[in-house]
Amino acid sequence: MRAWLARTRTQPELLGLWLLLAAVPVAALPHAWEQPPWVFAVLMAAWLWRVIIHATNARLPARWLMVLLVLAGGALTFVEFGTVFGQQAGTALLLVMLALKLLEIRSQRDIVVSLFLAYFVVVTTYFFNQSILIAAYSLLSAWLITAALIQVHGGRVLPLARLARSSGLMLVHALPIMLILFLVFPRIPGPIWGSPHEDPVGQTGLSDRLEFGDIAQLLENEATALRVRFEGPVPASSQQYWRALVMTDFDGRGWRVDRSRPEVPADGEGPGDVAYTVTLEPTRAHYLPVLDFPVGIPDHARLLDNLQVVTSRRVDSRLQYTGHARLDAPPVLPLSADERTRALALPAAAAPRARVQAALWRAAHGDDDTAIVQEALQLFAGEPFRYTLRPPLLQGDNTDAFLFETRAGYCEHYASTLAVLMRAAGIPARVITGYQGGQWMDAGNYLRLRQADAHAWTEVWLEDRGWTRVDPTAAIAPERIETGLSGWFGEDIDAPAFLRRSGLPWTVQWRLRISDWHDVATFRWESLVLAFDPERQRELFARFGLDATDWRSVLIALAVSLGGLALLVGLSAFLRRPRDRRDPAQRALDRLSRRLRRHDLAREPHETAAAYAARVRAARPELATPLADFAQAYTHLRYADLDAQEREQFQRQLWRALGEAKG
Amino acid sequence: MRSGKLNPARDPALRARWWRLREDFVRWVTRRHQADGRRARVTRDRVYILPTRQGFMLLLILLVMLLGSINYSNNMAFLLTFLVVGIGHNAMWYTHRNLLGLKVTVLPVKPVFAGAPPMLSLRLEETDGRPREALRLAAGGQESPPAFLETGGSAEVAIALESRPRGIYSLPRQRLSTRYPLGLLEAWTWLTLDTEVLVYPVPHPADAVQAATADGDGEEAAVPTARDAPPDEIRDYRPGDSPNRIAWKAVARSGRLFVRDSAGGDAAPTWVDWDAAPGSDPEYRLSVLCHRVLEANATGQPFGLRLPGQRLGPDTGPEHLGRCLRALAAFGLPRRKLT
Repeated sequence: MRAWLARTRTQPELLGLWLLLAAVPVAALPHAWEQPPWVFAVLMAAWLWRVIIHATNARLPARWLMVLLVLAGGALTFVEFGTVFGQQAGTALLLVMLALKLLEIRSQRDIVVSLFLAYFVVVTTYFFNQSILIAAYSLLSAWLITAALIQVHGGRVLPLARLARSSGLMLVHALPIMLILFLVFPRIPGPIWGSPHEDPVGQTGLSDRLEFGDIAQLLENEATALRVRFEGPVPASSQQYWRALVMTDFDGRGWRVDRSRPEVPADGEGPGDVAYTVTLEPTRAHYLPVLDFPVGIPDHARLLDNLQVVTSRRVDSRLQYTGHARLDAPPVLPLSADERTRALALPAAAAPRARVQAALWRAAHGDDDTAIVQEALQLFAGEPFRYTLRPPLLQGDNTDAFLFETRAGYCEHYASTLAVLMRAAGIPARVITGYQGGQWMDAGNYLRLRQADAHAWTEVWLEDRGWTRVDPTAAIAPERIETGLSGWFGEDIDAPAFLRRSGLPWTVQWRLRISDWHDVATFRWESLVLAFDPERQRELFARFGLDATDWRSVLIALAVSLGGLALLVGLSAFLRRPRDRRDPAQRALDRLSRRLRRHDLAREPHETAAAYAARVRAARPELATPLADFAQAYTHLRYADLDAQEREQFQRQLWRALGEAKG
Repeated sequence: MRSGKLNPARDPALRARWWRLREDFVRWVTRRHQADGRRARVTRDRVYILPTRQGFMLLLILLVMLLGSINYSNNMAFLLTFLVVGIGHNAMWYTHRNLLGLKVTVLPVKPVFAGAPPMLSLRLEETDGRPREALRLAAGGQESPPAFLETGGSAEVAIALESRPRGIYSLPRQRLSTRYPLGLLEAWTWLTLDTEVLVYPVPHPADAVQAATADGDGEEAAVPTARDAPPDEIRDYRPGDSPNRIAWKAVARSGRLFVRDSAGGDAAPTWVDWDAAPGSDPEYRLSVLCHRVLEANATGQPFGLRLPGQRLGPDTGPEHLGRCLRALAAFGLPRRKLT
């Protein structure tokens, strides 16, 4: 220990090596969750080996061993991923090579190369995670790496405080340039080569199939599903139905999404429509939740004739899009015969008792479909149906068991059962899944919909109104629709903590508060940074009358913004420049000397003003008078005890003489 | 631009040519600067800056990072890439400022005997209110260890120049450089500070044989030494007596000031004479003379030096010694530039 301390003092680069060894695990840590375990194990083993070498002054591994290790590292990566390129494999290779580089650091240059690679490792973190936490964390990494670079070139063991400060200041100073380049550097949509990282993790949240219990399961999931910012006034909660999947095919147990629908043109937004921007968390699926009823859909998305919006590219990373909705008047679309058949189809064996019930209603109300719908809702509201977090298990036919026996269920139970009842009564019906309710985030001014806010409802076809939303949950548990989940479950001790409004220990309350802050920060981060794309860059450029696709515009923007920055820096340096500490008399003398320099009559440093004046006089007799005046005034100003008036008088004499003493 | 690293070949002829080319280039670049004299200030118009090899390496890595960011349209990767670009860009400014505004003064070079390296030392002063790190001085193919300055502080950097034969030399051009803080760029300035570098002849005792056979006018052959001097007399101190000669024991005993007065005190001074030096090689003679001058000086007695066309002394004291040694160093030689 003492030995290496002593060595460090004589070889400042060695402290740089310690800082490198501190920075590498910090920079690589986020990869521990993303890379196969062996990659991180290799890195940590190499790191430990190097630490031991460094602390005990042991020998570095032999060159042939290094060659072998490098080959083995490359081979392992290839075996694991089948390639050494691309985000995942490339990052793994980078980490392995950095690990091996640690083992062969012999010179200052090697330390520097490793530090540069460490910057690269930080960048690769973002291929897997772009959260604001990672952003803050990578600032820490960059700070450490920069500090190590400074130490390596410091020429001595720099005081730690100065090292920390210098490195931090460098990051701060680099921010304006970073910002300018970020905004101005031309963005090209889409990958140049290869495809972005395809995460093998399965779909989260809503799925293509809906069975009883599927949505109730999501209730425990407090993760954010989407965040919404409204352009105008925020519609009432009971009007916000975020439709994601439309399910038409029923097999007796569950519903399946219908994807092969024809595309229809969107109506186009009108004056009373709600404009909103959604930030969707990765769903690893193709649907985009939109506010009912969509009239304007995002670019690059398609509107299907069942009013479902899909994209061609799977949503694998956060996606931001805008849309327009009309809250009450759904656009009436004609129902084709084929579609009607599908929307009425019930498997032969499904729900025999429910069919009887539907037939009774049909007999009672004749052609009045609306009355039948009302009957069904009356049934849910009037009979002892319960809206519950933990629906009991069902025996036999799901629909019948729920409708006539347990009578306890969650939204999908009601939505599915209502649709089956309607189909049995000859009314085309389908089930919609999506999100409803959510939490209004005051701090960020946006609506946060969690996975738990997933919801299912029904749509029925009424001859005069077209597809009409019927939400049975609104009949049985109106609070759920009007004030969200916590409106209904707020006092339920079985409910997950984030839904409850009372009876929580303070630790949990704090956890929830922090989670809210984090969500707001994420939202801001998302809309400020991650959403900046070629589209937004175009808008930004257009605001200044420039065209982002024209390289001349880009150059102009770069020149103007960097020039402006340089001007600011120069101005602040000018304002803080060291003040001229010479007194006015000295300044005048210096000026005289400068003026006479071209006649080789500059004042020598040891000459007094009087001696100087005498020397000049000898060479240039015509200046005798002003020089004598000058010397007198100078001597008085510098050395005599003058009152204000005299001082002013001599001051004038000095400057007049200076003016007359023109070479 | 570190000397010694860019040599195109090991072939000495080629290397010499390379050095000449380099010299010419530097002279061309610095043609607008005036010679510096004793002190200089590192002003904006004389600071040069260029990326180092490491700088280009980072550029390459940044390029790869940028390509990755573009390919995956990854905004955070863009951000970090541009952050490092910003750091690299600002390094230009930091490095430049680390050098800018320094006051440099050349300190007198302590004379050396031929064969010993003269030490060139510069005094660096910081007056702009910011600390400086890792400043390196290079001159004559040598480089100093890094120096640093606290705010308003000063430091000395020294380089051992190559040892030279006797003579009077001017300083080689100096190069003050820094790569702080990130090593991506090197800022440097060429200084032409000058002071005299005195290289005395190596003192060489005359060979016994030659000393004996030397034909003598008497005095110069037998340089009196402390040992063979007659016993001292003690007498009262008179103003003007050298403090070296105060007889401290006597003073301690009596409380009065006594000086030691050697018997030959007022005798004729010793002469160190070119014509009396043995050998025919002038350099050998100068070496012998140098030795004799040093010995004569050690006795504390007045001595003089006679060289063809020159006569110094007789006198005593360090200044006289300096004059004599200088005359020996310069004998028959023009002032030369050290490279």
